[in-house]
Amino acid sequence: MNPIRTICSKELLDSLRDRRTLLTAVLLPVLLMPAILVGSIKFQEYQIQQAEEKPVTLALEHEAAVPTLVAFFKQQPKVELKITTDYPADLDSGAIAAYLSFTPTLEQDVQKGIPADVRVIQKSSNITSTTAAAKALSLLQLFNREQAAKRLAAQQVDAKLLDALVPVPVDIATSQEKSGFFLGLLLPMFIVLFALIGGMYIAIDVSAGEKERKTLEALLLTPATRLQIVAGKFAAVAITASTTIVLSLASMYAAFKLFPPSFGEETVAIQLSLGAVGIMLGIGVILAVMFSGLLLSVAIFAKNYKEAQNYITPFYLLAVLPVAIFAQIPGFKPTVAFFLIPGVNAVFVIKEVLIGTFNWPHIGLTVGSLLVYALVAIFVSSRIYAKESVLFRS
Amino acid sequence: MLQVQGLTKKFGEVTAVEAVTFDAHAGEIFGLLGPNGAGKTTTIRVIATILQPTEGTAVVDGHDIRKEPEAVRKTLGLLTADIGVYDRFTARENLRYMGRLYGLGGTALENRIHTLLVALEMEHFADRRAGTFSTGMKQKVAIARSIIHDPKVVIFDEPTAGLDVLASQTVIRYMQHAKQDGKLVILSTHDMAHAQALCDRVGIIHRSKLITLATPQELLQQTQSQNLEEAFLAIVGQNAAQTTEREREEAHLRDVAKKRKKLFKL
Repeated sequence: MNPIRTICSKELLDSLRDRRTLLTAVLLPVLLMPAILVGSIKFQEYQIQQAEEKPVTLALEHEAAVPTLVAFFKQQPKVELKITTDYPADLDSGAIAAYLSFTPTLEQDVQKGIPADVRVIQKSSNITSTTAAAKALSLLQLFNREQAAKRLAAQQVDAKLLDALVPVPVDIATSQEKSGFFLGLLLPMFIVLFALIGGMYIAIDVSAGEKERKTLEALLLTPATRLQIVAGKFAAVAITASTTIVLSLASMYAAFKLFPPSFGEETVAIQLSLGAVGIMLGIGVILAVMFSGLLLSVAIFAKNYKEAQNYITPFYLLAVLPVAIFAQIPGFKPTVAFFLIPGVNAVFVIKEVLIGTFNWPHIGLTVGSLLVYALVAIFVSSRIYAKESVLFRS
Repeated sequence: MLQVQGLTKKFGEVTAVEAVTFDAHAGEIFGLLGPNGAGKTTTIRVIATILQPTEGTAVVDGHDIRKEPEAVRKTLGLLTADIGVYDRFTARENLRYMGRLYGLGGTALENRIHTLLVALEMEHFADRRAGTFSTGMKQKVAIARSIIHDPKVVIFDEPTAGLDVLASQTVIRYMQHAKQDGKLVILSTHDMAHAQALCDRVGIIHRSKLITLATPQELLQQTQSQNLEEAFLAIVGQNAAQTTEREREEAHLRDVAKKRKKLFKL
């Protein structure tokens, strides 16, 4: 048997018998990824539902002096009025979400047609308070409009005179685009993460692990060349990492088929075309291959497992942090240069593909650059394996 | 069978092996003696093509280590002091893996594994995973692994270090059998008693250089000594031996300080 195949088969069998590799390369992506993705979308659904159902808690200054405004707010659905004697403390504790402050003569001013300031006080560090303040402002606009209509009616003028235009919101996002947008917040990051994590333990095991077990010298004594040794090990790491990607995507697909997400009143079926799945798989696998080469290059410097983990942690953060940041920026339009950054480019392409956009220059640039990085990583790791000072570091 | 010619190995500015030259023949046990750090292991690693020589060369069964490293590795078996085995593999699987890397396969490989399992009395644990093995059991797997391809030259580097008497006997018996089978056995050790009992000829490496090459009997006569240990001390000198030890310790401390300095620079 060819030495590369022999080494690759041995490393794969060895890692299959290792619980740590099985956990990170198989169980985590198969169980954790769909659980987190489906769970987070279900949580978003719950949050939306809560926001829709939960009343907004407001407090009005001099409440007894403004019966018209109080009556108006009491008519509004999902608005609850509370009395406060210390509004900053109540805003802090969440007892009220927003506080409306005005002069005690507001009611008279409104009757007389004198514009009066109403300050909507919120705590912007609290999302509930911000939402309540926005709702209070829109209700005050409505109150304004009602009052204006009454004044015009008193002068026998049609209230429609106030409307130059009638804005009507229309959402043309398709079901696929909506589901793709939500999936795009987490899925691309997960693919990058699992391309890295999938190969991490086996990369350490076949390099630093071989040193720690003191089997490296016996391996170097065989007629297999250093290039064949590193190629066999690299193939095993790349196959494991790629398998992780395939398993994670398959389990995610199955999870969404079983638990379709619903946004608002609409249940959204995940509709991924074969092309989209193919591109995500392809990019995931190339990413896994590239990370495999890099992981091998880093791990071989270590004398043992523990040291290898210390070396890989900063590398892991360096690879994942930009991805995590860029994946979460809503509406960010990347320039061409972003499609050259490994990992980050995969995130943007997968996000595009998820909403049904196939930008071939972006896909080409991402695949091309990742392939170049993968080749460089393989070359570097083979050079490092030829270095006596690295192999026999004591 | 083995010709070593002016072999030199430097690690940066440190010369680990300096112009070592000797011949060794089929059917003999050749001892490479010297204290720890003298350069024995480096010499062996260069001969086994794990390390590249800085100068000089060696020819193993007609194959030059510089020109045909793969052919040299096929001819040579090396048992190092590191007897690590693949813990998640059985003894048989460990041997099968190494056999395949030496180009063996099919029935020939399985027969060879069986022969070694019987010869080294390993049959009762052949199909158990190596993670549970004692040091002696691992040592047997390591020996079988190093000779799975039936090499003409077998090198043992400190083979009994850390072993109990019984495990040491397994190694010693194998070396004697290999000699009877017409193989060249190179024994690198600082254990003078073993060397005296086993070796046909010995070379003493001291401060990276081969300073003596003779039979044990010749060394005893030359130095008027009762045993090889006394002969060794007489040759390198008691003071020189102590100086070497001190130099090695100082070199180690310098090395540690240098590494720390490098780390702080980072």
